[in-house]
Amino acid sequence: MKKIFLYTVLLILLVLAMPLGLSDFGMNLATEIYIMAIFSMSLGLIMGYAGMVSLGHAGFFGIGAYTVAIIGQYVPNTYLLLLISVVISGLIALITGAVFIRTSKFYFLMITLAFGQLLYVLFWQLKPWTGGADGMSVSATLNLGFGEIVSPNGFYYVMGAAFIISYLLLRLFVESPAGKITKGIMENEARMSALGHNVRIYKLLAYTLSGSLAGLAGSLYSYFNVFVSPDLSGWTFSGQVMVMVIIGGVGTLLGPAVGAGVFIYLQNFMSTYTERWPMIMGALLIILVLIGKGGMIHWLRYVKDIIFLRKQIDEEATQNQVKKEEVVN
Amino acid sequence: MSIFYAQLLTGLAYGMLYFMIAAGLTIILGVMNVVNLAHGTLFMLGAYIAFTFISDELNFWIALLLSVLLTAVLGIILEKLLIKHVYGKELEQVLLTFGLSFIIADVVKWIWGTEMQTLSAPALLNASLSIGDMVFPLYRLFVVFIGCLLALLLWYLESKTRIGAIIRAGVDDRAMVGALGINVGLVFTGVFAFGAALAGLSGVLGGPLIGMYTGMDSEILVTSLIVVVIGGLGSWKGSFISAILIGVIETFGKVWFPSLSMLIVFLIMIVVLIIRPQGLFGREVA
Repeated sequence: MKKIFLYTVLLILLVLAMPLGLSDFGMNLATEIYIMAIFSMSLGLIMGYAGMVSLGHAGFFGIGAYTVAIIGQYVPNTYLLLLISVVISGLIALITGAVFIRTSKFYFLMITLAFGQLLYVLFWQLKPWTGGADGMSVSATLNLGFGEIVSPNGFYYVMGAAFIISYLLLRLFVESPAGKITKGIMENEARMSALGHNVRIYKLLAYTLSGSLAGLAGSLYSYFNVFVSPDLSGWTFSGQVMVMVIIGGVGTLLGPAVGAGVFIYLQNFMSTYTERWPMIMGALLIILVLIGKGGMIHWLRYVKDIIFLRKQIDEEATQNQVKKEEVVN
Repeated sequence: MSIFYAQLLTGLAYGMLYFMIAAGLTIILGVMNVVNLAHGTLFMLGAYIAFTFISDELNFWIALLLSVLLTAVLGIILEKLLIKHVYGKELEQVLLTFGLSFIIADVVKWIWGTEMQTLSAPALLNASLSIGDMVFPLYRLFVVFIGCLLALLLWYLESKTRIGAIIRAGVDDRAMVGALGINVGLVFTGVFAFGAALAGLSGVLGGPLIGMYTGMDSEILVTSLIVVVIGGLGSWKGSFISAILIGVIETFGKVWFPSLSMLIVFLIMIVVLIIRPQGLFGREVA
């Protein structure tokens, strides 16, 4: 619990401190990073804490985004709309997950990939509602009860808050008994099953939580971007979020968020120089897989260990020195 | 009635094409336990390579041969350079081949642009066969014929030859096969190259059938993954039957419910998996 408190305070400070050194463009970028961080944390949860590698997670993002775009035409209330998005994506995660988790690793991968691609095709083909390949603009506006939020700063703080709340929620789940059992299932499913835990329920719980959070990220994106298109559910996008998770590190909660930040920044930086971003992303993914050794969070821990170890060695050295001097005296 | 048979043939041709694609996926999956997510992109690459050769006034059959050869060579390079580092690591395989698919797709976009292209069928097959009042395009019959031929060939290779015996043994007990003095690494390179060549082959044969466009790679990959999943991992028989099933259902679905044919295919997959999580002909997997 102490850890949750510490990390949350640090995150709040980060969100509050960032605008000090950012231009308008930087604020926009940071806002997008918060949204993508929620999305990649949601995938990081099932990948790193439940051992489920989904290749169709953008499907839920798309569901959330289109919910705000379509239902937002009739329901203006932001709270209600976000709730509807989360409930719809959560329900779809619950229903599809109940089928998907019955399958083993390879099948799970393929089915989630097919699921994401199916939604992509659906959004593409249900032209009367979704605008088809041309996409649709979002008419709903962000309003949390104190007037419409339109300024970049307003968006920044709303998305920053959403990011912190999402992190807290995930942290609470991970630290809860249910979260620990889920992690135990990832490490040894047979043992947890033998201990009397209903393995499927916990996996489904994690998957549903993850799906609804991805939906939330999608609906926030809809407000932020004011335009949605089928690409939000496509497999390229699913791949991108997976790259974010891998860059940051699987098996940690904040790793994927860090990965999202690095990815979005790199993408913006690179796209000013070259159109060949998919190629760079692919190469990045391959390099990370071959020599990445667990992603940035793990590198940071490694560096921390080295520094910490060095301190220890220094302390021992000085202690020895003191002892020697004592002996001499 | 004649329209019905023409559509049935179209469905069968698509089904055989799906089988040819899924065959490469299945053999790599079955022997090496690698999910090759770059398979759809290799399919696309095969089609575009043949397109370039044919645009250079080369004969369709020579273009086909060159395309298959080139994708096989690419397969060897990829296996030697990258894939061999990730054997036994599932997540890494997925990510690596996923990354590869992005790169290859972008290279295709770079070289050939994003415009829709058509790969024309060879002149010899650009005719139709009439039986009574029914007209069958020859090229579709040809694809069905090649699909059946490939199925037979694969069955023969697997059950009647030494290579097939080694591969079957390697699937069950890799260490034992290695201990018998067989170079497992070489077998794996060969299998990956063969899978890539199959992707190239189906790309060239599929080009005239489905056209060439950006995004075809992921569509093809998803369809063939669905075929493999419905059929059961590593089962030829399963892939063959489910490919035909999907091809025919998709074709009729496109006629009856134009916008929802993909949904129907997906629903079939869900129903199959609810009843049999390991696919129609799959072995129980842990």
